[in-house]
Amino acid sequence: MSIPELIVQNWSRLLGGLAMTVELTIISLIIAAVLGLTFGLLSVSKKKTLRAIALVYVDIVRGTPLLVQAFFIYFGIPAALGLRLDPNMAGIITLSMNAGGYLAEIFRGGIESVNKGQMEAARSLGLPYSLAMTKVILPQAIRTMTPALINQCIITLKDTSILSIIGIQELTQTGRLIIANNYQAFEMWTIVAVMYFIIIMILTKISKRIERKMSYGKSKN
Amino acid sequence: MGKVKIKNLKKSFGDLEVLKDINLEVHEREVICIIGPSGSGKSTLLRCINALEVSSSGTIEVDGNDITNAADNELNKYRQNIGMVFQQFNLFPHMTVLENISFAPVALKLKTKKEADEMSLKLLRRVDLEEKANIYPEQLSGGQQQRVAIARALAMNPDVMLFDEPTSALDPEMVGEVLNVMKKLAKEGMTMIVVTHEMGFAREVADRVIFIDEGFIVEEGPPQEVFGNPKNQRTINFLNMVL
Repeated sequence: MSIPELIVQNWSRLLGGLAMTVELTIISLIIAAVLGLTFGLLSVSKKKTLRAIALVYVDIVRGTPLLVQAFFIYFGIPAALGLRLDPNMAGIITLSMNAGGYLAEIFRGGIESVNKGQMEAARSLGLPYSLAMTKVILPQAIRTMTPALINQCIITLKDTSILSIIGIQELTQTGRLIIANNYQAFEMWTIVAVMYFIIIMILTKISKRIERKMSYGKSKN
Repeated sequence: MGKVKIKNLKKSFGDLEVLKDINLEVHEREVICIIGPSGSGKSTLLRCINALEVSSSGTIEVDGNDITNAADNELNKYRQNIGMVFQQFNLFPHMTVLENISFAPVALKLKTKKEADEMSLKLLRRVDLEEKANIYPEQLSGGQQQRVAIARALAMNPDVMLFDEPTSALDPEMVGEVLNVMKKLAKEGMTMIVVTHEMGFAREVADRVIFIDEGFIVEEGPPQEVFGNPKNQRTINFLNMVL
């Protein structure tokens, strides 16, 4: 069968796989954003213990392969605790924890890139640290962070493919299952790759637009 | 009664003792200019007054409130009463000029947005920048930014204003406009502590000039005395270099 015929024949399965990929990405990124912001804030704290907690988390995430993290969460923890974990749940936990670690570093970098005088100016007006952080520092940090944030979104989307190994029916796993029936590896992997490529290109385009809109002031005038 | 009372203040950064036993009392409506060579501790002294630097020992009272032993939430309250103007302006780049000024009173729920904006416009009129209300700081010159920064500090209606070398980062032609705003403020009776290299300003506006060197107050007095008839050899040497 030719590629167009394969697309027509497997359209709904492929779309289903893509939908799962996108769903996993979005849910994981939302949780990861909360984790990243939390641990990012811990890592710029004045308190040593809080910084240490953030450091340990980030080091563990960066110091181990995603695949090992997935196995640890899907096979390791349930084995130790004697419970069963739904693969989708394990996948979301893995991706969230993983992206959360990288996002924490991105948040830390973004916050540290804001001039120290900004925090001092806000505090000198009588603002508590939390208000100064949320209203003065973070809005500026997020502007500089935008490219790195988008990059992490794309990486997390691609990382979902690794979760095919624990049996989640996302796009890559769907491709493998189809090939198991029709043996047309070249054509099917081409289709799968193009699908990833298109979705990531769309994401890149949207993010470029957001980035442009966020440059200082100009948009409001 | 003194507006600002500093007793036996010491401040070290690691092994480096920057302030060694500073005693200073600033009275209501008084304008103090602090002069001295770079590294003498004058900026550190100013930053201790609103606890941007935590002092190592001694006490600082502002309006009778002990700054040095204040809990976080008390300190936030005390700071509302102490305006500060920085060398690098430190305006918030993601806010318009008006938002910069209205920001703190609104964020601290002291004023509604509308009340704050009205007040901000009045303050902008005072620093002669009313027409710049809706643009962003990066589109202003240094002198204009510093005038906005003064208006921002005034928005909290402070009793004391601290100026940390407010004209040192400015091009020479913009120094005058900032100093004029400060002169006006002094005339209106604001209590001001100004760290400055502008000897002309100190001579003209200060009620008292403080010369700091190596962490001590070496000499203090009315400007005509300190500039006209300095007694300490270090003051004489410093003035010879800068005048």
